Amino acid sequence: MYQKGVFLRQPLWKQRSAYHSYEHPESPPFPPAESAILSASLSHVPDHGFTSTALKLGARDAGYPDVSTNLLPRGVYDLVNYHLVTQRLALRDALQFPSDAENGKPIGVGSKVRALTLARLRANAPIVHRWQEALAIMAQPGYVPASLAELARLADEIWFLAGDTSVDMSWYTKRATLSAVYSASEVFMTQDTSADFVDTERFLDARLADLTKVGGLIGALGEWVGYTGHSVVNVLRSKGVRI
Amino acid sequence: MPSLIQSARCIVSRSQLCPSQLPILDFLAPSALSIRQPSRLHSTIPPSAEPSNPPSRQNAEKSNKPPRRPLTEAQKDFLDSALRVNQAGELAATLIYTAQTPPIVRAHPHLRPLMKHMYDQEAGHFDYFNKLLAKHRVRPTAMYPIWQAAATALGWGTAIMGREAAMACTEAVETEIGEHYNEQLRVLLDWAEKLEKSGEGVSEEFAVLIKELRRIRDEELEHLDHAVEHDAKEAKPYELLTNVIRGGCRTAIWISERV
Repeated sequence: MYQKGVFLRQPLWKQRSAYHSYEHPESPPFPPAESAILSASLSHVPDHGFTSTALKLGARDAGYPDVSTNLLPRGVYDLVNYHLVTQRLALRDALQFPSDAENGKPIGVGSKVRALTLARLRANAPIVHRWQEALAIMAQPGYVPASLAELARLADEIWFLAGDTSVDMSWYTKRATLSAVYSASEVFMTQDTSADFVDTERFLDARLADLTKVGGLIGALGEWVGYTGHSVVNVLRSKGVRI
Repeated sequence: MPSLIQSARCIVSRSQLCPSQLPILDFLAPSALSIRQPSRLHSTIPPSAEPSNPPSRQNAEKSNKPPRRPLTEAQKDFLDSALRVNQAGELAATLIYTAQTPPIVRAHPHLRPLMKHMYDQEAGHFDYFNKLLAKHRVRPTAMYPIWQAAATALGWGTAIMGREAAMACTEAVETEIGEHYNEQLRVLLDWAEKLEKSGEGVSEEFAVLIKELRRIRDEELEHLDHAVEHDAKEAKPYELLTNVIRGGCRTAIWISERV
């Protein structure tokens, strides 16, 4: 039965929550108490950073005693993670793309990906002066797998919301490259002093342009190899070789 | 209602088109003939168990039924790996038929309509699962390019060995696939029954999935019948060939469920 097959699998590198249903609701990402403490703590991050102080103040605001923050198994990483998860889920409602019919000209998947990535970067704006602390926490060895998994989920969310429907190997390359571009832009943004983060926007556009160039090259190469292979086989068949 | 009509038509075509009545020169007018033949392998589930149109759903929508609960992690994991492995299987099937067709048709032109018919059905299944994966955010298998290469090699290799070997390959593959779909259907029907009992009712996406899986399973078993009709059992060495292919299929299913 399926139990035998499914439960043998260890979630070693489980990339994302599986199967997305449209009729069965999703369970909320955090339990209510945790959610209350962490969201209250986030409002203290601009002043106190991603620290246990922010967590304690948040717990106090939410009406829990200071020690209740000890119930968070991963401490400040849980605070960082809460920001990452809620901002990822907020992307769904952050942007409304006009449907093709009312717009006349359909918006390409590429420009949707750009808009969504930019929207996600801008969601870091209120705490961007503290974001290097968060990056340092995420880079701690124990949290690296969880951080990478969350990055992969973000890339998946962006491609899904952009309406990408490819389900072959490009599924993987698209998510991997977008993850790289996003994390590079995120680091760049922490040092961006330009008004309204125009430099970050420029940086992101340059990286996305690189991607399109390399992707186009690889695609053209693959097409050439496939075409040549087919031609060779067909020429041989036309000569009467039995293949 | 459409399913009733369809099944009625199917019964009629099956009873009228016995293989003995088929003209031998069927390749002259392939489109004039249906190549349905009586099924040898019967479904493990009686057709009456089909919940594609459960009467309780319509009633439940009017009354105040309990709200739908989220799927459990185990259910999500099952659907995730089930859809992934189905897509990988249909990818392999389309590539096997693509690779088999040129050598087979060259040696036996009268098999052209049959090969085209089987390929078209597999392409339809592949398309269906591609859409489903994109819709339900299931990742495709990471072994994608390896299955592509393996399936093409298998199809081409068996076609070079001759018509009987190619048909034995089809028989072995479709046997495994048919059993695999039946296993999935058993689990899904079990869930559907539990949902019915709890009063939640089967969600539309489950009902459609079960219906489509049944249709696809039946078409795969139809291919199995065609393969046996066309002397799959005459292949030499039959036992070795089918056992190796079936073992390979099972391994590929096992891997695709995981990565």
